[in-house]
Formats: sequence, C-alpha cells, structure tokens
Amino acid sequence: MLKIDSTEQLLRVAALVSAVIAVLILIWYLLVRPPLGRSTKIVLLFGLGVMPLATSLAGNISGFEYTLQRSFCGSCHVMLPYTQDAADPTSHSLAAIHSRNRAFGEESCYTCHADYQMFGTMTTKLNGLRHLYYYITEYANTGPYGEGGKPIHMYKPFQNAMCTRCHSTEAPRWGKVDDHAAALDDIRKGDTKCIDCHSGEVIHPRAFAHGGNGRAPARTASNAAPAGAAKE
Amino acid sequence: MFSVTKITIRRLVLISTITTLASLALMIASILAPGPLLLVVAMSLGQFFGTASLVLYLLAIVLDLQGYGEHDEFGSLD
Repeated sequence: MLKIDSTEQLLRVAALVSAVIAVLILIWYLLVRPPLGRSTKIVLLFGLGVMPLATSLAGNISGFEYTLQRSFCGSCHVMLPYTQDAADPTSHSLAAIHSRNRAFGEESCYTCHADYQMFGTMTTKLNGLRHLYYYITEYANTGPYGEGGKPIHMYKPFQNAMCTRCHSTEAPRWGKVDDHAAALDDIRKGDTKCIDCHSGEVIHPRAFAHGGNGRAPARTASNAAPAGAAKE
Repeated sequence: MFSVTKITIRRLVLISTITTLASLALMIASILAPGPLLLVVAMSLGQFFGTASLVLYLLAIVLDLQGYGEHDEFGSLD
C-alpha cells in the first residue's frame, strides 16, 4: 500500500501521475494519429503542455527536497564515511549527535553545510554541481570509501555562523566553558573559529580514521593543517 | 523557399510528441531513482527538451490557425 509521509513524497506521486497521464495521451496520439481538429489540439495541449509542466514543477520541488537529505549526499560513495557515521546511533561524533537532533535529522548535512546568506540556497546548489563534476572527473573510480582519491575539502572555511545559528553564545551553560568565555569576543567576530577546537576529527571521525580520500589513517603532518582549513 | 504544408505541421506535432516523451522519460527516471547525475540531467536536458517540444507544438498550432497548408496538394488533413 502506498504510504505518503511527507510533502516530498506527495509531490513525487503528483509528478508521476501527471507524467503517466501525459505519456498515455502522447502514446494515444502516436498510435491513433487522429486529425488535428480542435478536440485533438486541446487534448495534445494537455499531453504536451499542461501535464509535462505539472510533472516538471512537482518533480523539481521534490528533487530539490530530496537533495537536502543525507541519503542523497551519501549517494556519492566518497561521502559514505561521513554519512554512515552521522547516521550511526552509537556514534559520539558531533555529526552523529547533531543528526540525532530532530532539528537536523535526515537533513543534517545540508543544515550544517548550506550557505545561509541571501541566495545561499542557490550557491549551495551550484556548489553541488561542482561536487558532481569533481566526483565524475576525480573520484568515480576510487575505492569504496574514496581511497586513492584526492583529499576531500570544502570550498571555503567552515564559518562560525553555521554553529551560532543554534549555539547563540548567549546561553549560560555555553558561557561556563572556560575556553568559550575566554574567546567570546573573538568567537563572535569570527576571529576564533569553532572548528579550531571542535575539529574535523571530532565532527567526522570515520572520515579521518579509515584512510580513505587519500588521508592517512592517523593524523600526520600532511593532514594536520589548521582546523580553519580543515576539509570535511 | 520553405513552404509550410499540413504535412509540415503534422511533422512538427510528431517531433514535439516524441521529444516530450523523451523528456518525460528523463523526469520519471529522476523521480523513481533520484541520483545526482540523473537529477541534474532531468532538470536541465529533460526540461530543455520539454520546453522546446511545447514551443514546437505551439508553433504548429499557430501555423495551423493561420491557415498554412490549407490549399496545398494534400488537401485538408483534419
């Protein structure tokens, strides 16, 4: 029995139904080849215009919604060390802890890594196209976890704003941490990065430990770059 | 000079129909098996072909409504 749990699934069903209607109309036209009278033109307008447009619209929205999900990020195998750890209910990594929070849930990758400024959604999606390009040209033939590929890196350093959207730096419990209190102004200005302390190995330990993506299994001089330039 | 006949109009509709079927196939595939590459192809090529086929169909309708080919040797195909 078909079960629809989300708007994305509803849109997918709507897109499929309108696509099937369009296909049936077009196949009918190709098989019967009726004269191009008024009624045929109207029916074809539905088959060639209205229904495909509905399919496109609903398909686009559901497609964009799907690209927010962690399973989509994990569909490129080089991301598996990141997504598998995030989905692991026994993991204590920052990514996993955040993913168990309902505010992040199945969209935890996007929630932490998306750009949030004006046009952020568009720039995030354009970066996604760059991901796809690099995946096809550089990582498609790498090992199960991306072994043999170049180290994966972010296009720009991880900004404190990604963290301070939720961790406002105003909460008393947060301020009681000595390092937070000592660097409060610098953290708010962005001079001290959250990931200077909460580094990539704490956020995505499996990606750093398995030796994939060209990384050494243990921390070495080559991957001990400043956390601000950490690539995860 | 290129002359528009009823056959031309029907061919336009036929091309439009086949192109739409191709674009729908891409869109359906991206909905049923949403992978990164398929989504990008469906959202770019699929929609380009879909839009192009609609334009072709509307062109065919406009030509037909303007009476092109009504007096050609094939006569009316309606």
